[in-house]
Amino acid sequence: MSNTELGDAGTDETNTSSVPAVRLTGITKRFGAVVACDSVNLALQRGRIHGLLGENGAGKSTLMKMLIGLVLPDSGTIAIDGTTESIHDPLTASALGIGMVHQHFSLVDALTVWENVALGDAGRLDPKATRGRIGEIAEQYGLVIDPDKRVGDLTAGLRQRVEIIKCLRRDPSIVIFDEPTSVLTPEESEQLFESLRHVVAAESRSVVLVSHKLDEVLHATDDITIMRQGKVVDQRRSVDADARTLARAMVGREVSLRSERAALGIHSLDDNGLDDNGLDGNNLDRADLDGIDLEEGATATGHTFETADSDTSNIAPDIGPTAVPVLRIGKAVVHDADGVIALDEFSLEMYPGEIVGVAGVEGNGQRALGDVLSSLLVLSSGTVTVDGAPVPTGKSGAMAKAGIGVIPEDRHDSGLVLDMTVAENLVLVDQSRAASRGLIDQKRLNAFAVEMIEQFSIACSGPNAPMWSVSGGNQQRVVLARELSQEPKILVAAQPTRGLDVGAIEYMSHRLETAAATGVAVLLISSELEEILELSHRIIVMHSGRIVGEMPRAEANFEALGLLMGGAAA
Amino acid sequence: MTAVDTAIDSGVRPSRTRHGARFSEWIALYSMSVLAALVLSAILVEATGGDWRPVVNALLDGSVRHPGRWGETLATAAPLLVVALGTVISSKAGLVNIGQEGQLFVGAAIGTYFGFLIGGPGPINVVLILIIGAAGGGLWAGVAAGLRYWRGVPEVLSTLLLVTVGGQAVAYGLRWEWLLLAPEGSRGNRNQVSEQLATGNRLPRPDLFGNEFPLTVFISVILAAIVAFVLSRTVWGFRLRMLGRNPRAAQRSGVSETRYGATALMLSGAFAGLAGAAMLTGGGFAFGNYQLVPGFSANIGWTGLLVALVAYEKPLAAIPVAVVFAGLRTGSNFVSGTGVESRITDVISGLLVLALLIPAAVMFLRDRRRARAAATERV
Repeated sequence: MSNTELGDAGTDETNTSSVPAVRLTGITKRFGAVVACDSVNLALQRGRIHGLLGENGAGKSTLMKMLIGLVLPDSGTIAIDGTTESIHDPLTASALGIGMVHQHFSLVDALTVWENVALGDAGRLDPKATRGRIGEIAEQYGLVIDPDKRVGDLTAGLRQRVEIIKCLRRDPSIVIFDEPTSVLTPEESEQLFESLRHVVAAESRSVVLVSHKLDEVLHATDDITIMRQGKVVDQRRSVDADARTLARAMVGREVSLRSERAALGIHSLDDNGLDDNGLDGNNLDRADLDGIDLEEGATATGHTFETADSDTSNIAPDIGPTAVPVLRIGKAVVHDADGVIALDEFSLEMYPGEIVGVAGVEGNGQRALGDVLSSLLVLSSGTVTVDGAPVPTGKSGAMAKAGIGVIPEDRHDSGLVLDMTVAENLVLVDQSRAASRGLIDQKRLNAFAVEMIEQFSIACSGPNAPMWSVSGGNQQRVVLARELSQEPKILVAAQPTRGLDVGAIEYMSHRLETAAATGVAVLLISSELEEILELSHRIIVMHSGRIVGEMPRAEANFEALGLLMGGAAA
Repeated sequence: MTAVDTAIDSGVRPSRTRHGARFSEWIALYSMSVLAALVLSAILVEATGGDWRPVVNALLDGSVRHPGRWGETLATAAPLLVVALGTVISSKAGLVNIGQEGQLFVGAAIGTYFGFLIGGPGPINVVLILIIGAAGGGLWAGVAAGLRYWRGVPEVLSTLLLVTVGGQAVAYGLRWEWLLLAPEGSRGNRNQVSEQLATGNRLPRPDLFGNEFPLTVFISVILAAIVAFVLSRTVWGFRLRMLGRNPRAAQRSGVSETRYGATALMLSGAFAGLAGAAMLTGGGFAFGNYQLVPGFSANIGWTGLLVALVAYEKPLAAIPVAVVFAGLRTGSNFVSGTGVESRITDVISGLLVLALLIPAAVMFLRDRRRARAAATERV
């Protein structure tokens, strides 16, 4: 690990001055108990592209947001061209010549390219001058575009070009690109990096490329800073780096250290519901005993049950050559709202009783995968089959009816109705257990809710408590209770432990393993490698909507997964 | 109205303390805003050279005190309530139907047309007109539903714009004898009026203590109870509420947005159409005297929408709210007799309506803020 600051070591002939364009010193930012950035030092040179690499939540976005004034640092200094500045809002940043191209587009589809470019301007609209400026930029940086085209008709790559032009026309001397290639095809990415070179070479600008893709960071940058859990763990020149070292530095140590994370106090910002309600570890154990009858389920399906504690020896269920997949996704293609491809000929087969971990940096199609299995997205092509019977995609309720339970990535999005009661949320998918002849039977609904509340140790004031009054961890338990009570054949758990505290994480892991032991095929989608390695029998890695690698748990390690997640060949 | 609110709520709301707090909040809010409106009105009357005391007297005389007036008020409240009930249904599904005025008018017109076309014995003919009127209003809202679910046109726009289209269409129908216009002999010197319903083809108007009102008063209260029951106790109501509160959760759970949303919007229109048909067959001083005329809908659709808004999406709460709005309407007819300029009385009734709307809006915003805060706090 070379922690020497690149700025001081910079003797490259492309440097026009020895004073770095930006010098961040000891920048720290806390959000509650979580340290997003921990005394980060970083120097950006003129005329060079600086790659900022890290996993989700490593702190890279927060760091850049402090540079453009969207977030204020708790401590530390920012010096621009050697002068210490206080950047308290984006306007100040803009005045200092700092511009950012955001990951998500902020364009108006109905307007033309030049209208979008002129959108943020004060004063009178000057179409001629704006068009002229777009022409200049196009020529200077190779960002060719027709200023009179409607933005809604453009491809994702061209839309991003509009975003870049919007940023460049203010002539910033420091430009930040936040995950610019996440919406681009490889060819478009190639073009982008080419124009980035132009941007840097002309008038010796300084460019930051925020990314989690090893490949592009290696090829498109001059210097690399790697962040993990808010800290800078490595800084080096791109010529001295290779994918393997970067991957290792990015995902970190080999061991699964959930308990260590707890000791460090890295857990949910605000999920104190469990403690408030006196649900400690003891209660959890009791709850487990009250849960699904493990013995019966295990014998019935012929699988051995593993407790959550033995996380290193996940024994995969016996999948013989005659086994029939319970879920089969065949060459699924999905386009998102922006027309970007989210799933690209994605194929997967799952067998009863196995936990398949889907690893990958977020934004590589995992959300689309979850949404397809929740009947929220229609496939452009491809099939989903459950137990050999095809299930229509995007038809309301079809997936749930076919036996696919879902713990969604964002429980507020499709998992819960916050304005309804806990009891009502427990029968959201299937009201039949609390209804007869089209009428809701309040007594049966209450009885069922009380049973679930007890079985899953949901801390709430009762079945009639509004869902929004329940803490996040317990909301997650409501989702879990409902989905498991449906006795699904397949359970999709997308980021099931996100935002939960340690006790709740253990509980969730245990429940998922129990479900698998009773013959449910569990699809665990997670951006946390520890979680995947701890629970899965089989691991697949997603990148750009495709499966780029698949391996049994025994053969998986951080380095191999890290490389695959970064899009490098295994 | 607050008492009713809390009564309906008790099944849903969790804690008694929260409950009590809400109750006093409502009382305080209503007292403050109504008082403010009254003071402002008094100042306005005084400033324009009038005296506020006779104005208040006239308002009370016109709505309840004068002989026969509370019957008139109830007769006005009935269609308001029916319109409001329909609005509650579409709101529960998360849809904003603001075209009740048009749905009511079109429903009444279609009811009239088929009522005369089909004929039949009196009582059957009345029921026929009510049913066909409801169907007509439902179909008119169905146009908006079709636009919404096939072409993605927001129902806020389509329902509103269809009010004008519906008004024009009915006015056209009133110009042709083969459509709605009464035959030469029975229309007097008026040239845009439908034939009058025969005495046997009208809703009965019972007389209580010298107050006469049509049967629709009872029908509307029964409907309110039915709507309240369906929304809170049936699977259909459950799924409709799910759709309104979280369409994505509903989509995953098998509640088809198209099917449930379109049904709710059409039901909402059907209630407005039923209100129109009830106004036609129930008669009354304010409502066209058993025949269809231009402007027949008389703002009942718009006011019914306000009733639903003030009643805060609660069917039973809509009953007292409808009576209050009806009282304002019948009362202000008398205010003009006090010598106060009619424009001033318009402003006064406007102020009072506003005073009734503000608490609901305040509570809505506050509840939403609380729910959001709770949601983000406890993620």
